[in-house]
Amino acid sequence: MDTSTASPHRTLVAIPAYNEAATIRNVVERVRLNLPHCDLVVVNDGSSDSTADVLAGSGAHVVAHLCNLGYGRAIQTAVLYADRAGYDRLVTLDADGQHDPAEVRTLLTQFDTGQWDLLIGSRYVVSRRYAGVPLGRRLGMVMFSSMVGLLTGQRVYDTTSGLKVIGRQTFAALTNWQFIDFHAEALVYLMRLGFRVGESPITVSERQHGTTMYSALSHIKYPLKTALMVVLGVVEANLTRRRIP
Amino acid sequence: MTTLGIAVGTAIGIALLLWVVVLIRQDRLYAGYGVIFIVGTIAAIAVLVVPPWLRAATAASVALMPDPSLSLVAIVLLTFLVVYVFIQISVLANRVMRLTQELAIRTAQREPPAGRPSEER
Repeated sequence: MDTSTASPHRTLVAIPAYNEAATIRNVVERVRLNLPHCDLVVVNDGSSDSTADVLAGSGAHVVAHLCNLGYGRAIQTAVLYADRAGYDRLVTLDADGQHDPAEVRTLLTQFDTGQWDLLIGSRYVVSRRYAGVPLGRRLGMVMFSSMVGLLTGQRVYDTTSGLKVIGRQTFAALTNWQFIDFHAEALVYLMRLGFRVGESPITVSERQHGTTMYSALSHIKYPLKTALMVVLGVVEANLTRRRIP
Repeated sequence: MTTLGIAVGTAIGIALLLWVVVLIRQDRLYAGYGVIFIVGTIAAIAVLVVPPWLRAATAASVALMPDPSLSLVAIVLLTFLVVYVFIQISVLANRVMRLTQELAIRTAQREPPAGRPSEER
């Protein structure tokens, strides 16, 4: 069943983009082709290259940050936008072209079974190994996957995936708390609040243009910041549950 | 350093740690700044409670500074002052962030989607 055409739910596809002029047009066209019944918004996160020019005339609705706020805040802007416009589901997709929009249809079909409040397009849920991933990143992935398992009782194998289907029921929680990159810290927070998070297998292609958003220094700061926010997320979720039984 | 000095130093460090963690949870201190204070404070507490490290740090401070005990007080005060400055920066950054998000969403809601290539031709 093609959920994107048959589902009565309103779906918004959001692509956060920062200096992705080389790939964004192609990603927008592929989303339009594969998900014709979904609305599309690109969150241009203060790009300093020609991303804004490339987007003009692409047919995408553009939400433009005047300055760079970071990936987590770009996703949060998309959640706010989807919430206010009354969308039932938000699909987030990377702007570097690594995700295949055709796979979103499968994810939406699974999401429509009602089992999940947030469904992650996961690169590792089938193999449960991080083969081919550089050692530093692999250590981080194992660490955060284990942390999520330890703090929620449910292991999530791909905590850093940019492809997610987010249900409307989680929008308020996602805009009320701070996140670094919407990775393990967001997942733990949601799961501790009682939301159901699942993984569905996807394939990703290699990045053709541009560079990763993580610098050399961020390889030290990212795990420290994220680990801290994971722990604080547990505290915040527990306090929230006490306030709103 | 006396045992009482170590205890007071450790207590100040723990108080700073708790303060920083509460500030981050309340979104009044950016987690990226907070992590720096947390790592620095844990390192300082470790120096205080591990005797060989404390001896090395004392020898180094005596060699470098004329009055190390007074300098220590100044460093503690300066640390709390720096945290306070970072709170103000974080609060301001949060306001700018919310303004930027709000402005972006409201502008996008007013404007129709940019024309698709086929529509422009």
